[in-house]
Amino acid sequence: MLTRRTFLQTTLQTTALAAAAPQNKPASKRIAIIGTIYRLQSHAQHMGDRFLVGYPLDGAWHMPDMKVVSLYVDQKPEGDLSDARAKEFGLTVYPTIAEALRCGGKELAVDAVLIIGEHGNYPRNEKGQILYPRYEFFQQCVEVFEHDGRAVPVYNDKHLSYSFEKAKAMVDASRRLRFPMLGGSSIPVTWRLPSIDLPMGCEIEDALMVGEGGSDPMDFHALEGLQCMVERRKGGETGVKAVQLLQGDAVWKAGDDGRYSKELLTAALSRSDTPLGLTVTDGRTQDLVGSGELQKLAKNPAAYFIEYRDGLKATMLMLDGAIRDFNFATRLKGTPSMWSTQFLLTPDPNVTYSACLMHKAEQMFETGVAPYPIDRTLLVSGILESCLTSKVQDHARLETPHLKVAYKAPQQPQYARS
Amino acid sequence: MANSSRPKLAGVVTTYFRMSHAQHIIDRLLDGYGWNGTHHHPPMDLVSLYVDQVGTTDFSRERGKRHPELKLCSTIAEALTLGGSKLAVDGVVLVGEHGNYPRNEKGQTKYPRWEFFEQIVKVYRDSGKSVPLFNDKHLSWNWEWARKMYDTSRELGFAFMAGSSLPVTWRTPSVEMPLGSRISEALCVCYGGVDSYDFHGLETVQCMVERRRGGETGVKWIQAYRGEKFWDALRDGVWPKALMDAALCRSHTLTPARAGFNDIFPTTDDMRRLVRDPVAYRYEHADGLKCTMLLMNGLVKDFNFAAFVEGSRTPWSTQMYLPMPDGRTTLANFFSPLVNNFEKMYLTGKPTYPVERTLLTTGLTAAGVESLFRGQTKFETPHLDIHYQPTKESTFWRT
Repeated sequence: MLTRRTFLQTTLQTTALAAAAPQNKPASKRIAIIGTIYRLQSHAQHMGDRFLVGYPLDGAWHMPDMKVVSLYVDQKPEGDLSDARAKEFGLTVYPTIAEALRCGGKELAVDAVLIIGEHGNYPRNEKGQILYPRYEFFQQCVEVFEHDGRAVPVYNDKHLSYSFEKAKAMVDASRRLRFPMLGGSSIPVTWRLPSIDLPMGCEIEDALMVGEGGSDPMDFHALEGLQCMVERRKGGETGVKAVQLLQGDAVWKAGDDGRYSKELLTAALSRSDTPLGLTVTDGRTQDLVGSGELQKLAKNPAAYFIEYRDGLKATMLMLDGAIRDFNFATRLKGTPSMWSTQFLLTPDPNVTYSACLMHKAEQMFETGVAPYPIDRTLLVSGILESCLTSKVQDHARLETPHLKVAYKAPQQPQYARS
Repeated sequence: MANSSRPKLAGVVTTYFRMSHAQHIIDRLLDGYGWNGTHHHPPMDLVSLYVDQVGTTDFSRERGKRHPELKLCSTIAEALTLGGSKLAVDGVVLVGEHGNYPRNEKGQTKYPRWEFFEQIVKVYRDSGKSVPLFNDKHLSWNWEWARKMYDTSRELGFAFMAGSSLPVTWRTPSVEMPLGSRISEALCVCYGGVDSYDFHGLETVQCMVERRRGGETGVKWIQAYRGEKFWDALRDGVWPKALMDAALCRSHTLTPARAGFNDIFPTTDDMRRLVRDPVAYRYEHADGLKCTMLLMNGLVKDFNFAAFVEGSRTPWSTQMYLPMPDGRTTLANFFSPLVNNFEKMYLTGKPTYPVERTLLTTGLTAAGVESLFRGQTKFETPHLDIHYQPTKESTFWRT
């Protein structure tokens, strides 16, 4: 892992070498950015820019020792910044992904690819999923890799694809061509309040996540928050056996029936800084579960029930109208109290949480090793798709034999804490 | 319901509107708050409340209706005696922030904290009994009165806590200054006004540097810089730019210096353009430690700390994180650790951190204002010869 210390040492060594024999300095890594759009506050902009203007890291402004050389944007809406960035930072905007990867030449001419397929104008399917062309972008990269006989690390923002089948094909391609791959949301790597991770190998009795925002962008974030915590349980991740998505009053009935713990729900909500309703009206603090206000505020709640293959059951509740942040709670065997934390989404416009995420991408680009497994993102991509299928299939419980995704969580916590 | 084993508290506040300090603090006693993964109801009862200014935006009457055990009182003495002849509560919470109070020629708002305190201790004296007292923010805008508040608490021997949320809120990263550190310089970059958020910035610095080797030794002098003199001082290296940069790199609210960018590090020229009325307080402790508090409105909206600590090649830094209800959050939850700390005092009779910290930061705030008032000249502070030791245990929010 690239720590601040190793980074400093590397930098110092590099500087010393450069002074002594500049010709020996390894060339900076060359990066291609493949985005849907590049407009202010779009994911491609605030993530891609980290490689252009640097970002805050460990109490310093960190400039990656990398150069963005090419950029592809699928759409250029009003406010597009791609040409302005090209002009200012000496990179080239290419009309195709293949050309961006080859920098207009005949073969792969970059050392890493950053795919940011979030935002832009894309259709939705009947499940409400936005059909972002991440798989299609990735496939075009893979075609270049295969054709040119060389593959480089790829970071893919958020879930791999709206389709598990396509997501699986992406991961399979990275294994086949042996290139490191990283994906997912900022939630697992941002600051936590309190600053805790679950002990590796813990035995989880029950776990619950609360989030808010529309489907399918925001439910993915909440599911990744849940997954990055529970994957640390004893035996590691084993995959998911079945899922079910409930909506409306069925969500509250499921709570009354004990399908999720109201104690855990209270614990998760106790971490929220954003209760709505009476807090907005007159500033008061609220016990949303105890007072019954939760049901009044969250007018169209959704519960995502996840049954893991090893028997763990976890729940993710989308509580639009009641809160505006992402909070987790769990009960572990052998510990008296519950564990809970807020995944801190730092404010606009800095969204410094994306700096935390791009640092992970940078680490992979630099070392060739993904700091956490892509299988997490694969599994969550599949959980989300199946939950949304449940939604349109009359909220049925769906068996998910295809989600037999097993992996081991990284030993070291990966969230921001230094 | 009030129970005899639970401490009874009286609230003495200036005003009680939505998002006022009294609303944040007293509501947490009445309605509980999220703490340690549950909705915590303090094991004590707020039985009476005095509100100095009840305006059209008041919520104390609504709270009184919803909490029938709470007696709304028209005088401070009544709140403390519950209408009887003697002190009838086990603790007092004084919140003298917000409300319409005059400003003096130095720009200080004359919040009546000392006046309220005097009325409280009159009941203590008349009753021959004193109970613990928490005072929100600094002790008084007037140094002599602040000192009297401290001396009176010592004379009568009651537990006394005060101060801001900054020392006790979350930190990103969640780190504590190691006890006994050798610190050569410390700095805070924050925002807000003079005789207002400057106090929070000073508390941010003080809760860290008090943990240095030897403990607190007091402050010898302070000098304020404002406007052009601020930029001159920055250019002349009056405070280390490296510490300022380190602190800025902890911010989550750096104003983008250029259109079209969301998070870009500002040059000094950018700062000059973004910050119209910068203020610095530079001061030296008796043991030689130099500290700087920078108010940079327009550049940041958070509180960031950095220091040179022996043994570390790079600046040591963190942010005192306030989930600020400025549209992003709805609850000013940084009041939760403040309330939780003073709850412990009412239960045990012992402050969780020394009031001398707030005595010193109160004096620094007034001295900073004085230096500004005297044309940004160096102001000697022999009266800030305040010595104390920090608590061994960290008291900031980590659980």
